[in-house]
Amino acid sequence: MRHARILSAMAAASLIAGVAACGSSGPSPSAGRGPVTIGESTTLSGAIAELGQSGLQGVQLAVADINAHGGLLGHKVKVVSADDAATPATGASNVRSMILNDHAVAIFGPVSSAVAAAEEPLAAEYKVPIFFHTSNDINLMGKGFTKYAFQVVPNTVMESRAAADYLAKQSGGKPITIATFAPAYSFGYDTVSGFLTALKDLHVHYKLVAQEFPPLEAPNISAYLSKIVTARPQYLFNAQFGGDLVTFTKQAAGYGLFAKTKVIAMYDSPVLEALGSSAPASAIGFDRAPFWAIPGLGAFNREFHARYGAWPSEWAILAYTAVQTWAYGVKRAHSFGGDAVSAALAGATVPTIRGDITIRACDHQAEIPEYVGVVASKPDPSYGEILWDPSSLFAAPFATIDLSCAQVEALRG
Amino acid sequence: MMPTAIIDTVGVLSTAGALFIVSAGLTLVFGAMRLINIAHGSFYMYGAFLLTTIAGAGTGLRFWLAVVAATIVVALIGAAVELVIMRRVYDSEHLTQLIATFGLFLIFADLALHFWGDNSRTANPPAAFAGQVAIGGAVFPAYDLVVIAAAVAVGLGLWVLLQRSGLGWRIRAAVEDPETLQAGGTNLPLLRTGMFTMGALLAGLSGAIVAPQVAVAPGMDSSIVVAAFIVAIIGGLGSVPGAALGALIIGAAETIGTIVAPTWASSFIYLAMIAVLVARPSGLLGIPERRQ
Repeated sequence: MRHARILSAMAAASLIAGVAACGSSGPSPSAGRGPVTIGESTTLSGAIAELGQSGLQGVQLAVADINAHGGLLGHKVKVVSADDAATPATGASNVRSMILNDHAVAIFGPVSSAVAAAEEPLAAEYKVPIFFHTSNDINLMGKGFTKYAFQVVPNTVMESRAAADYLAKQSGGKPITIATFAPAYSFGYDTVSGFLTALKDLHVHYKLVAQEFPPLEAPNISAYLSKIVTARPQYLFNAQFGGDLVTFTKQAAGYGLFAKTKVIAMYDSPVLEALGSSAPASAIGFDRAPFWAIPGLGAFNREFHARYGAWPSEWAILAYTAVQTWAYGVKRAHSFGGDAVSAALAGATVPTIRGDITIRACDHQAEIPEYVGVVASKPDPSYGEILWDPSSLFAAPFATIDLSCAQVEALRG
Repeated sequence: MMPTAIIDTVGVLSTAGALFIVSAGLTLVFGAMRLINIAHGSFYMYGAFLLTTIAGAGTGLRFWLAVVAATIVVALIGAAVELVIMRRVYDSEHLTQLIATFGLFLIFADLALHFWGDNSRTANPPAAFAGQVAIGGAVFPAYDLVVIAAAVAVGLGLWVLLQRSGLGWRIRAAVEDPETLQAGGTNLPLLRTGMFTMGALLAGLSGAIVAPQVAVAPGMDSSIVVAAFIVAIIGGLGSVPGAALGALIIGAAETIGTIVAPTWASSFIYLAMIAVLVARPSGLLGIPERRQ
């Protein structure tokens, strides 16, 4: 009975707190010159946590650098972070709490596009800018677009078109056989669909011999691999990432797949580091922001390495860039308000660690390239890790790989 | 036999082998102590992480020594957990036990993040089994044979232990009538410590054995514990032969699902579990609990 009373009291208190929060006038910096808060809601636990943890490091380093240079508009910046467990409802709850309880003036994250889709309308409801630095579904800036959302990562169309461009050059106009492999959720289906559409647009003569969509985080994919191996494709486009791609590579090597088939996948630095000497030499990798390939990143790379003891992943670089983009918008607008920051960033060219980036006005997509290259057979002498063969590096330009504004408009229906 | 059928059969046996080893530990602990151990997945994950740390890039004798060392370290962790925590909750309700092991699961997950970080790790398979085996036009990973052989060895070892030794008789008696067993001179707390340690050892061994085939990363504890419970429930909680049968059913269901209806493949294992529970609530080889 006593417990029931305590629970009732706690429930009542929560309700009152919730009503009070809903009645507040929205996010604003603390009075005077106190710190302003930004929120990073991302995946910090589970199998894809390494993407979220790495992104959080990028956000924290960017904020530390901003504060080291005096902060923003006279305010220091503070980061609050929360784990969304790759679940849309948890991500939405985090964002609501960050805006209402922490008075966050900007939101960053998440890893999963499904989580991003749940957070995007919420940020718009409270007029708080939200920056996607890892989740990259084209629909976030298409059907789901709001003026408060920004995508500072190559989207699903750009990624698959860059890989298709590279394959078109490799095939040299000859007919080829292709298989696809992707995680069984919206990102995987969209990326594969985008890749095949891009091949058609590029007039590549291909025959699709197998398509497999294993579940996320499946520990044993032998049943899916056996179908690929039996189909004997010349090329395999794989949209898996992180730990799933590591598992694929280990198990596919067991079937001798890499000796017969050229695999195209997101062989970025975290995956290559995890694979070590098992990295599949001569496989084709794509990466959203390879630290070793982007000109001018040297100082940032060293700073990151000194702080975290590792080279920055693409997730950290993109997160750092996202915070820089927001900070530029705040300075340009002379305000932390969502409407002002949004207006200041649309069409703006933002100076970042990776050079100037333009935020396209029609969809708030950062005009950045996607990188493609061939996995090297030996460790890179500068970084001591297996990366890509420097002579194979290809930066697919934004103008050739993203949809036009008219096409994005058509997506919105 | 068609090459594809050979590849799929080996794949089923390999999947089932790894699942059987980890599920056997889970079901053994339940059978001996009626304890549902959520932290069993943590022991599996620690086996895998320890293997990557101890083996490093080793592919010769060092790999095999690392499998043994990782398994022993996990068994010792299991023994410590039993001595310090679990023996205090044996007489509690199932819910209390469940919460205690769930708490351990969370603590072990945080400790793993602290020790190994959040990045994926891998281990190389031993050099002798790093390539492929070709039979009848089918090519499959040679390392699958290691996993299958380990599962067969574990199965035989447990059968001898439980059915052909005095210890096996005591373990069965500990479930049926622990008071009489203790009155007869058996050291019941020691027996329980031994069984819990054995369960942890099997989980650690399974993790170490599969480490060269997967990305060793945070989160593998939760995914395996769900799969292990499904296997144990299908086979009948407490039945080691049931765990073997359950693992084979799950491996086959997953593979057939992938071939027949790829989009619904992961649902097949749950459908298999539901079908078994409807037909036989105590599992295929489980013994129904007697109502008091």
